[in-house]
Amino acid sequence: MKTANRLTPYMFMAPAALIMAIALLYPLGYMVWGSFRDWNPSQTIGEAEFVGLKNYITLWGDPNFRESLGVTLRFAFFVVTFEMVIGVGLALLLDRNIRGMSVLRTLFILPMMIAPVVVGLMWRYMYHPTVGTFNRTLDGLGLGKIDWLGQHALTSVIIADIWQWTPFIFILALAALQSLPRSALEAARIDGATAWQQVWHIKLPLMMPVLIVTGLLRLIDAFKVLEVILVMTEGGPGLSTEILALRISRTATEFRELGVAAAMSNYLLILLLGLTLAMFAFTRWQEARARRVRAAAEEDL
Amino acid sequence: MLKFLGTTVAGATLALMAGRALANPYAEYEGTTLIVNFPAHPHYNAVMKILPEFTKETGIEVEVDQLPYLKMRERQTLELAQEEGEYDLIAYVVFSKADYVYADQLENLAKYVMNPKLSDPNYDADDLIDGYVYNIGFAGGTKGYLEGKTGSLFGIPYGSETSILGYRKDIFEKHGLEVPETYDEMLELACKIPELEPGMGGVASRAASGHHASHAYLLHLAPLGGRIFDDSWNPTMNSAEGVAAAEALKKIVDCGPEGAKNFGFGEALGAFLNGDTAMFLDTTVVAGQIDDPSRSQVVGKVGWALHPMGARRGSQTGGFGIGIPANALNKDAAFLLMQWLTSKRGDKLVALAGGNPSRFSTHADPDVNAKFPHMATFGEALKHADPDWRPIIPVWGKINADLGTTLSKVLTEDLDIQEALDGVAERTKAVMTEAGYYTWQ
Repeated sequence: MKTANRLTPYMFMAPAALIMAIALLYPLGYMVWGSFRDWNPSQTIGEAEFVGLKNYITLWGDPNFRESLGVTLRFAFFVVTFEMVIGVGLALLLDRNIRGMSVLRTLFILPMMIAPVVVGLMWRYMYHPTVGTFNRTLDGLGLGKIDWLGQHALTSVIIADIWQWTPFIFILALAALQSLPRSALEAARIDGATAWQQVWHIKLPLMMPVLIVTGLLRLIDAFKVLEVILVMTEGGPGLSTEILALRISRTATEFRELGVAAAMSNYLLILLLGLTLAMFAFTRWQEARARRVRAAAEEDL
Repeated sequence: MLKFLGTTVAGATLALMAGRALANPYAEYEGTTLIVNFPAHPHYNAVMKILPEFTKETGIEVEVDQLPYLKMRERQTLELAQEEGEYDLIAYVVFSKADYVYADQLENLAKYVMNPKLSDPNYDADDLIDGYVYNIGFAGGTKGYLEGKTGSLFGIPYGSETSILGYRKDIFEKHGLEVPETYDEMLELACKIPELEPGMGGVASRAASGHHASHAYLLHLAPLGGRIFDDSWNPTMNSAEGVAAAEALKKIVDCGPEGAKNFGFGEALGAFLNGDTAMFLDTTVVAGQIDDPSRSQVVGKVGWALHPMGARRGSQTGGFGIGIPANALNKDAAFLLMQWLTSKRGDKLVALAGGNPSRFSTHADPDVNAKFPHMATFGEALKHADPDWRPIIPVWGKINADLGTTLSKVLTEDLDIQEALDGVAERTKAVMTEAGYYTWQ
């Protein structure tokens, strides 16, 4: 009877755990298992030859994979940095009661709602060398034309991504700002803090936990972006915009090497897992530090 | 007596039915529904128009699953690996041939051709264009993908294309230019046109990173005398001919319309349709669009000529073939459809509906020529179609991608051509070693 009682909670959890295991772990396990095989799409996974770590080792020596990884890291770094700065900046500016504010906010988040393929197409035509909006404007102003998707392909792709995803940061940063304790800000104002001091010393530190999670979400997403780049440049010219997600997709469909594609996905997974863990460790450390500071302050009292 | 009469009548009816069955090879399959997988492609759009005719004649229904061609390949890869497939007949891209045949997923057509109940004696297989039959339908011959004594037939070309030179008659007349017949003439003209007509490019060509750049390069490689591999599978794209082909591509792109370095097929065709270039060197499939006033600003201004000659004539062979999946459920009926579509009559019907014919006789047909005057030139071009203009081996996808991205670097980053192609050759050698092509050396 006692054992049954002890088991009851687990029994209640069992269905959920089972669904989790099937829905989450099975595909993941399948991918890991596949990455150890020389597997082409015409075979079932059982028919594919087991090759151990060969796919992982080959990838490490493959200059194209390394270049692709470099492009991904650069892309993710720049988009997340710019999006955070612009998004948080906009949120700080718009955190006030202006007439028509709700319309403005809705307008700001529109880009995020557009399907990625449409975003890709839209920007591709805006960047068009002769009939695109940008070059026609530059030409009209008497400035030279820019070879957007040729010589400056990565920058152009980064600009498009910033345009689409800054609103995501903005909307979360705004929500964080509006939920800040007003008492702290009032106290600061009474003590004569300037607007800048309020931002630096009160708003940003208090928003930090939300901002870290937001940044992390964007970072994970930036590592996986595919459609916009596929439509805009197909990874070219050369490999200059071929981010990992695109290389994985090409490896699976064009080169028909599912095992290598799975190994590449696992590298990406490990990278993202490492980043997530680092981010969590950082938040923990920060919380612990805050606790220590608070405890020290209380002791002083 | 009555009983005897009854039996006689019944017997006579049966005999009559049997006689009818003999006269109509389709009777046995009447009411069957075939599920076929075709690409979204101008030729197959024309096929859709003639399928009702097939159903009317044979009583066999056809349900078509039409997909964009890259999507189609993905779908087929999954479908063909099943035990029982959904498709009775598939259209496949040339480069799928190696994968499907190697994985034993396409029916060898011999047993259908040998079956007197299925095989039409008036089919006239000799009238099918040779280069295409070997390029698309044949497997197991020389090098595994060419004509040869060890090969056999797995599919029939349907919707086949070759390369052709389209030129602006008005521009050529205005400046008294001759239509180029050789590579030297074409390359000279390619850079002369921007001088004569400011703002206009010479030749519209694909050049974007990946298979676009690679395709454009291969178009020049065969006529200039080069090959991707020699007879022992050693990579030869870095030979003098290979370098000349890359130089030709670079010259064409440099003298092309603005933004040409990033053109895919759609943009290159778009540039020609918009009147931004004086020439277009690519597939024959575009002819219909060039004469369509809703898409083209150059209707009636375009003339056609053979793909210029370098060291030899060698236009591309591409497009689609149709074959029966090994896991199909209605194989015999599928063969009947395949035979009907590629018969003399079917080929003419599809040509008149705007498709690409696969028979010599259709290219020479007066009705077809009256409706599409360019057909005679296209027929001439087909005689020079080169089935070995690119290798059709399972690892080609990987080599093709490397070649295409490297050439894109040559075009955009001014990488040294010889050095770039040496790199591709070295990496190709590694891929080929890994795939076992040097096992017997």
